[in-house]
Amino acid sequence: MTKESVIPAADDMISNLKKYARGMQIILDGAQAATGQTPKEVIWTKNKAKLYHYEPTIEKRFPIPILIIYALINRPYVMDLMPGNSLVEYLVNQGFDVYMLDWGVPGDEDQDLTFDNYVLDYLSRAVKKVLRHAHAEEFTLFGFCMGGTMSAMYAALFPGKPLRNLILLTTPVDFTPEEMGLYGLWTSAKYFNPDYLVDAFGNVPGAMVDTGNRMTRPVTNYVGTYVTMWDRLLHNKPMETWLAMNKWVNDGVPFAGEAFKQWIREFYQQNKLVKGEIKLRGRQVDLQNITCPVLNIAGKKDHICTLPQAEATMKLIRSQDKEFFVLDAGHIGLLTGSDARKNLWPKIRSWLEVRSN
Amino acid sequence: MPDGRKPGGSLDPMELWKQWYDTSSKMWVSTLDGNKETFVDTYGLYRLWLETVGKAQEQMQANISGLMDTKEIWNTWFEATVGAWRKAAEMGGDPLGLTTQWLEMMEETRKRIMAGDVLPTDPFTFFQKWYEATSETWAKVVDDMLSSEKFIESASPFIEIYSNFVKTLHRANEEFFSNLQLPTRSDLARVAGLVVAMDEKVDKLEDALENLEDERSQESPLLRSANEAIGGRLGKVENKLDTLSTALEKNEAVKSLDGRLGRVENKLDTLSASLEKSEAAGTVEGLAKRLDWVESKLDKVLAALEKIEAREHRGPETANSTGTVQRRKSQKKTE
Repeated sequence: MTKESVIPAADDMISNLKKYARGMQIILDGAQAATGQTPKEVIWTKNKAKLYHYEPTIEKRFPIPILIIYALINRPYVMDLMPGNSLVEYLVNQGFDVYMLDWGVPGDEDQDLTFDNYVLDYLSRAVKKVLRHAHAEEFTLFGFCMGGTMSAMYAALFPGKPLRNLILLTTPVDFTPEEMGLYGLWTSAKYFNPDYLVDAFGNVPGAMVDTGNRMTRPVTNYVGTYVTMWDRLLHNKPMETWLAMNKWVNDGVPFAGEAFKQWIREFYQQNKLVKGEIKLRGRQVDLQNITCPVLNIAGKKDHICTLPQAEATMKLIRSQDKEFFVLDAGHIGLLTGSDARKNLWPKIRSWLEVRSN
Repeated sequence: MPDGRKPGGSLDPMELWKQWYDTSSKMWVSTLDGNKETFVDTYGLYRLWLETVGKAQEQMQANISGLMDTKEIWNTWFEATVGAWRKAAEMGGDPLGLTTQWLEMMEETRKRIMAGDVLPTDPFTFFQKWYEATSETWAKVVDDMLSSEKFIESASPFIEIYSNFVKTLHRANEEFFSNLQLPTRSDLARVAGLVVAMDEKVDKLEDALENLEDERSQESPLLRSANEAIGGRLGKVENKLDTLSTALEKNEAVKSLDGRLGRVENKLDTLSASLEKSEAAGTVEGLAKRLDWVESKLDKVLAALEKIEAREHRGPETANSTGTVQRRKSQKKTE
């Protein structure tokens, strides 16, 4: 064997070893990626919550600001994942005035927080801050997943001005067990008592909530994702998006104890929202009060918020201007990636453009 | 009894551990081994796996030449693994049907992988092929398992026991560190709670101040227009007051003049009557002088009234008074 033929083989081996080492590092230490890069400023804080205002890149084209409400679990930076793959960045570049409420990470002292607090104290206050900061009289409320459920509750409690538009993205409203897939069984009152977890942990740990979500697709989530990683790593494919998504997936936040109990018991087990029986600080949440324009978006492959769970909203609200938009994607897949760029983002822009002046 | 303790629950860590072990090992063994109550063997699963590997090794060693063929190696491995699982399935009822499904999946995988002409020697590529060949079936198997009531029935007490275990551990830790006079997590949470409450108060103050500011800024244009409106209305009221005052003044003047005129009229009447009765010229001349004098007074009064009338906006009382005066003047000329 000549010296020339040995060196490339050795180089390949070293290169492969480096790739294996990197792969192992990612598995052991977790993925690292720069996320949430769109320039922003914090304009208000309350306890752990922060209200972001994204700095405009072009002159504001629409006077109606958008307030994005994320879920209580996981981090909201998935809405602004990375440059070029960020819904927030896209909207800002289209001339929208974008705000986002980050609930933060609840500590032990926050275990008594409930949806009453989140909707009536935090969300309402954030709305006032947005209006004041944007010098606007109306705003668009844009909720994702559980954040959408909270947004719908806000819209039901505070219909009319200043709420101009409501966008619900993969938002569960109907919690009929038969419509919820695995969650219907797992959260059944017969088998699951949320008190046990809350009594033991105070706040339900993020990893525990995350495990519940991953177990709806265990093979894909626990094995498939790492097959993809090795494939990308060993075949020199771009890793940035995978790293950002993997970081986000493993970056869950605890669920405030009382809110978790409320979520499991009143929403999942008793399905009170569709019945109009949810009460926040004594105020009845009746979705029929919603009359503003509504864009309701869901994913066909979403196993966290199934299609019927989201579609139920359309029958409950009284808005004349309402649209149910279905994408062939999963819970997070519809939000990021090339399909989102082609389908979801332009849809939101075009829907908002004619309703934001 | 300490707070939060559930009836029937145990706070003894050993008892909790025993409950946890019994439940979890029973769950997994019954899931994989056909519910034969054999959960006393903690290492059963590991033993099963080792047996499998050992058999595969023996078979491979028995046929050294076969080692050169990757297909043969994998075929041998499949046989060994499937054999072990088949044996496990035959041992019991396979309550969740998992073992049967696993065997079916392995057969399917063997077909798919062996269908290719050449098996990749690169471990990752082989693993990727393996995943692509099996993930769908695997997902179905796991889905079926997770969505079965039997699985949930087994998992449910596990959550309860695990939670109790964690709770007991937390309580023990709390007591331990409290006895050491060290702050515990709940102490920190209490302090943090005070900070949050303070933050809440500051936020409420900020909210109240902002509301006040908003009200002021929102009301300032309103206030301006209200002020302007009130100013206008005040001007009008002032004008009206002036008018009223003038009218009152006129009214008083007119009344006074009317009174004086009445008195003059009476005097004229008396004078006229006296004239009719008197026939003496000297007396008439004297009276004529007196009449001229009265007439000049009347003229002055009338002039004053006309001035008032000219200044006055049309008023019914004034008009009446003026009319009366004019009437009297014309009467006087006629006489």
